[in-house]
Amino acid sequence: MSDPTHVPPSKVVLVSGGSRGLGLAIVTDLIDSGVKVAAFARTVTPELTALAEKYPDQVHVGPVDINDEKAGQAFVKEVEGKLGPIDGIVNNAAVGQDSLHVHTSAEQIANIIQTNLTAPLVLTRFVLRRMMAKGLKGRIVNVTSICAQRGYPGLVAYSATKGGMDAATRSMARELGGRVLANAVAPGFFASEMSAVLGQTQLDQIVRRTPTGHLTEPEEVVPVVRMLLLENTNINGQVIVIDGAAGI
Amino acid sequence: MSELTRDQIRDLMGEVMKAQGKVLPSDDSADLREIGFRSLDFSELALRVEDEIGDELNFDAPGLRQIAKVGDVLDFIEQLQSA
Ligand SMILES: NC(=O)c1ccc[n+]([C@@H]2O[C@H](COP(=O)([O-])OP(=O)(O)OC[C@H]3O[C@@H](n4cnc5c(N)ncnc54)[C@H](OP(=O)(O)O)[C@@H]3O)[C@@H](O)[C@H]2O)c1
Repeated sequence: MSDPTHVPPSKVVLVSGGSRGLGLAIVTDLIDSGVKVAAFARTVTPELTALAEKYPDQVHVGPVDINDEKAGQAFVKEVEGKLGPIDGIVNNAAVGQDSLHVHTSAEQIANIIQTNLTAPLVLTRFVLRRMMAKGLKGRIVNVTSICAQRGYPGLVAYSATKGGMDAATRSMARELGGRVLANAVAPGFFASEMSAVLGQTQLDQIVRRTPTGHLTEPEEVVPVVRMLLLENTNINGQVIVIDGAAGI
Repeated sequence: MSELTRDQIRDLMGEVMKAQGKVLPSDDSADLREIGFRSLDFSELALRVEDEIGDELNFDAPGLRQIAKVGDVLDFIEQLQSA
């Protein structure tokens, strides 16, 4: 805190969508790193409950729909009361898509944009306001996707939201003038509930086109998120692609 | 507007293929890859059916990936109409 030009490592991190998949892996890793972690999803899974029970002073979890602004704000205040002020946020919660644009209803498109773009921006705004009001510095990590940079059929609205978050990341880094480091990680496809809709043919095709010869694994994304939250680097406003060079 | 019958859907499918200089075989078990009916042709057919019935038939891609034969196309559109 004594150095006015550096942003210290986050001490209390809020992870959206921390109940399963990549979000749960991030939560587990941050706990292991000694960070206090708050996580929410619409449904709190047994895995997340177990972590909260095992580390009662370090972990706080709850059921929140990210689209419910008031519930999100109440959760943030709850976390502050229990763990202390939030100085790190990982925007991980998102919904996937697997439908051609012409066959996706306007309502579905609106829902994807609301969940993956509007809601994380609104939640981040709230957390930032509280951080800044307390004179705190902090860090933001947005989980976006290789889809923001490369085209994939069936993912038009989803890709638009991820591209939107990449763009927001850059503008946040500028706007927050070094008080907050804002970065994004953009994984390639990895096995999860979200990608379960992909057929075997598609998965095989992605692997074939990946120089490292395998799908990205959450364990390969986690260290990068940890670095962006905890390490002393000057990385700011960047989108770090983690896809084994499948997208280059 | 009311749902299309299986025969009416088949006629529209024939039109989609005819526009590309292809012919729709009468056999429901004909393989789509062999007759050159691709996924965007399926989209075109679905949109033509929508036009006829005056309603949207939105659907996800995974169901589409199961479609291999002419009969599957007709089954899928019939199911979408009645969903
Ligand atoms: N899987 C991939 O191939 C891939 C590739 C690149 C990027 N990504 C990105 O990586 C991140 C994690 O994806 P994943 O594959 O781990 O997905 P996942 O297994 O489907 O997990 C998504 C998480 O977000 C939560 N969530 C979804 N909607 C929510 C809502 N309205 N409110 C609160 N929480 C919500 C889910 O819990 P509930 O459903 O209980 O709410 C769950 O905890 C996402 O941002 C995704 O876009 C994934």
